[in-house]
Amino acid sequence: MSLSLLLKVMLNRKVVTILLLVQLAITLALLLNSVLLAQQTHQQLNRPTGLELEETVLVQLKPTTPQLRTYPLLEDLLQRQLRALRNIPGVVASAYSNQPMLTQGGNNNNLYDVDNEERSNIPGVPTYFVSPDFFKVLNVDVLQGELPQHSGFLDSETQPGVVLTESLAEQLFQGQSSIVGRQLNLGPVSAVISDFYGQRMHGADEVMYNSMQVAPPYSVDWGYTLLLRTEPGQTTAVREQLTSVLQQVEPNIEIYYIRSLAEQQHQLYRNEYGLAALLTILTALMLLVTMVSSYSSAHFHVLKRHQEIGVKRALGASKRLIFIELLSESWVCTLVGAVLGIGCALILNQALAQVISLPPLNWWLPLITSAILLFSVTLATWYPAAIATRVSPATATKAL
Amino acid sequence: MITLTNLSKIFRTELIETHALRDVNLQINEGEFAALTGPSGSGKSTLLNILGTLESFDSGDYLLDGKSVKGLSDAALSQLRNEKIGFIFQSFNLIKDFSIYDNIELPLRYRGLKAAERKQRIEQALELVGLHARRDYLPAQLSGGQQQRVAIARAIAGRPRILLADEPTGNLDSLMARQVMELLEQINQQGCTILMVTHDPDQARRAGRNIQIIDGQLHDSTMYEPLATQSA
Amino acid sequence: MEQFIYYLKVSLLSIKRAPLPYALTVFILSVGLGVFFANATFYYQLNSDPLPGKSDKLFFPMTLIAPYQCNDCRPPRALSYSNVQKLAASDIPSAQAAMYSSAGYARLTIDQPPTPARVRVTQRDFFQMFEVPLLHGSVWADDNAHNQVILSRSMALKLFGRTGVVGESLVLDDRNFSVIGVLDEWQMLPRLYDANGRNHLSPTEDIFLPLETGYDLNYLSNSYSQTYDDTDYRQLATEGRSGALHQLQYWVQLDTAAQQHDYQQYMQSLAEDEKAAGRHPAPINNQLVPMNEIVDYFGDDPGDIKAFALVTLLFLVVCLFNASHLALNRYLSNQYEFSLRRALGANRSQLQLQMLADVLLMTVFSLLGALLIGYAGVSLMNALLPQNSLFSTWDLTLITALILAALVCSYLVTLYPSLRASFGSLNQQLKE
Repeated sequence: MSLSLLLKVMLNRKVVTILLLVQLAITLALLLNSVLLAQQTHQQLNRPTGLELEETVLVQLKPTTPQLRTYPLLEDLLQRQLRALRNIPGVVASAYSNQPMLTQGGNNNNLYDVDNEERSNIPGVPTYFVSPDFFKVLNVDVLQGELPQHSGFLDSETQPGVVLTESLAEQLFQGQSSIVGRQLNLGPVSAVISDFYGQRMHGADEVMYNSMQVAPPYSVDWGYTLLLRTEPGQTTAVREQLTSVLQQVEPNIEIYYIRSLAEQQHQLYRNEYGLAALLTILTALMLLVTMVSSYSSAHFHVLKRHQEIGVKRALGASKRLIFIELLSESWVCTLVGAVLGIGCALILNQALAQVISLPPLNWWLPLITSAILLFSVTLATWYPAAIATRVSPATATKAL
Repeated sequence: MITLTNLSKIFRTELIETHALRDVNLQINEGEFAALTGPSGSGKSTLLNILGTLESFDSGDYLLDGKSVKGLSDAALSQLRNEKIGFIFQSFNLIKDFSIYDNIELPLRYRGLKAAERKQRIEQALELVGLHARRDYLPAQLSGGQQQRVAIARAIAGRPRILLADEPTGNLDSLMARQVMELLEQINQQGCTILMVTHDPDQARRAGRNIQIIDGQLHDSTMYEPLATQSA
Repeated sequence: MEQFIYYLKVSLLSIKRAPLPYALTVFILSVGLGVFFANATFYYQLNSDPLPGKSDKLFFPMTLIAPYQCNDCRPPRALSYSNVQKLAASDIPSAQAAMYSSAGYARLTIDQPPTPARVRVTQRDFFQMFEVPLLHGSVWADDNAHNQVILSRSMALKLFGRTGVVGESLVLDDRNFSVIGVLDEWQMLPRLYDANGRNHLSPTEDIFLPLETGYDLNYLSNSYSQTYDDTDYRQLATEGRSGALHQLQYWVQLDTAAQQHDYQQYMQSLAEDEKAAGRHPAPINNQLVPMNEIVDYFGDDPGDIKAFALVTLLFLVVCLFNASHLALNRYLSNQYEFSLRRALGANRSQLQLQMLADVLLMTVFSLLGALLIGYAGVSLMNALLPQNSLFSTWDLTLITALILAALVCSYLVTLYPSLRASFGSLNQQLKE
């Protein structure tokens, strides 16, 4: 049957056709945008972090008594805990930090080159106060200078040296070559290391600016982090011991959570992940609804048009032709719906971008999702179309 | 043109077997206009359906144009119907979403003819039935007589060798019926073989041959020639 | 009535005749309504007004009184202690309270294991302003430092196993406090007074501590704090009171338009004075944000629920189209019967009554389905978006709205098909 005839028939059944088209279009629009969101979440989870996600474990904890939260008892506690962690078999390195990495916001500071405050000032740079082995735990590369070997004191007269990540150094000094020893507001630059992903800022681009000083934290009122890197394959075994080992060292602590960095990263994108999962479920439901609709529409069509199919058979249409004719009705409908749907998807995409961060549509996703839609509709129409081929041509001669 | 030898058709249900047709022998020659009459339930429609390859049969043989239709695939039967047989139904059976033009075009499309040829044939057929001016109407916009003329145009546009008509005037008043009969006679004169089921003795008389069917058995009244002498 | 029961019977019969199309229609309608309802629950609760009639009278004043040189910038999200002192000098507001959130460990005696507690450090007007129900005892007599705490009902139960504990003492971070009040069950949702630290979706605090005591004992803010000079944020009691350490939320109650106008003028004069004194380097930008606009002001509306709301609404529309499509097919299949009834003398209004019976049945079935799917949807959303889990409760308004929605949807789904069926040409249908 020709395209023009199919279109004519569809136009004659305006209401049913419009109903079907509207829902096909909306289904495609949703399908497209949820695939887009799922894809974005996937990309976020696969973005390089500069960290060894699987082998690095972090413990977020807080001493439960005020004495343990103040120096010198705090210093003693930190050292006792680090020693205990180092003694766990399978631990390569351990360190403390005032805060974990891969978090939503956290402790940060503005940072500038004291010789050039106006130009170089960067607000909201994540600031880590760590023990010397921190860099060993993260397994970062040293690009310039030397890492501090001993812990300094934030409250002393001489400020401890500052370690910068590569992109932060670049932003601060704009490509100047020798930056070790340059004075920043927090202290002199002692080294530059490879980038890692520290904090996700509200509404900011994902940048890898981080500054570190080897010194005990100012305060642990918000808790602190113990970090450790394990031998490959040892992570689970090490994790199982962590709670009891730390409780043995000091019972007056509250452990908020123990996570691998991979879990931490997953937690960071929890919202996106949740929304993508919800949209995917919704899309599956919607495809199901569309299939039910295509099925019932085709089924009804066949029932209603027994006579017509019989006549066509009498006029020389083979079973195959009847089958293809019915399927192509669905196909034409789906394709028209898909074209409308891509339009709807663009509108929905813009509407969604107002409230969540969502990448714009690309050119190939509509094709793939239209193909998925077409496949579902074909699947749903298959059975009614097969029933249609069973209509006997002799139906044509029976008077109703 | 058509040869049936010892053809039987049985309808079976779990309890009973009904012989719709019993050892039917029939010969219809090229260019004949035959009327098929008989009381309801006598097997008229079944015979017509078998002749039109719309239904299968249980035993015997059916030669159309010298070739047996037995054991042909669905696709081959469909092609046969499309190319050699034209149908006219009592209830017209026009497709109501299609215009007059589209209705007539349908079998030509199934045959895979080129657009230009389709157009030419449809014009001719419309000319013959006198409905050229209404080519873009929908069936529902035409009177019963006109609808049946469209159905006739659809049947002959494919230039079939044989036209099977199932009570073509059954739903029409006498004036309309006469017009349709005249049209059929005109088509017959152009060389098309016609087999028409009818209740109307007048119409049966107008046909050149009257085949009666009672309880699944044939009683050929006129122009009966024994099979043995039939060879030409 | 007897007649209507007859119509219901007829409806049931016609369902029995073709159960699959009917089941599919109900299924699709239930899915659409259920998914929509699940999301509407969150949307409704997240956007509900926690203090109806009062949320437009409570304001969060913000100023740029800080050693912060910038052009075109909004005031900090929190105030410094000295900011609050200057603002509190005005007697225009009917009530005012500064506050922040912190954390501590509570126990009855020093040898018990500590219980982690969310602490709200605040002033006495807090309870009146946010209509906090008091079960036992009273709030602090004034805004001075007191070693007195007010407990939430659940914290009292957790620590003491009972609520009548006024006068008892407890240990908070190794210091002794006496309990002077216990709150009744209270969960302000959303907790808009905490919106500046993006904490308005979390549960209420367990322990309430006087602001001055919090500063004296160096309770640090655990949500939002920022310093604009070299104030050491660990020295709340000293530097924290004078320096540019911004961590305080401040709420004032301004009941009339005149009060609001006066207060704005007061803020303006204050900023001008501070500017003249050199303590306000940035251009003046005062904000007086009413509580019902505070989330919008900070731009922290959780977009995912909004996005999902849009999408589920579309889904409901699709399901409606779909269900009416299915229903249309069903009615068209039954059209012969309709025509027959009319031929037998039923008039259109009687047929419409029959439709009404159909609508009611459809409503009942789809409502049950929607409740089930809605419940599943809410559980799923709690699992996937746990930060909104406080907002997943159903109340009478919501359930009533769902019943109405189910009724309207069932009616819409039945309306067009029934019109088609009952207004079709009688003659033609019988002939077909």
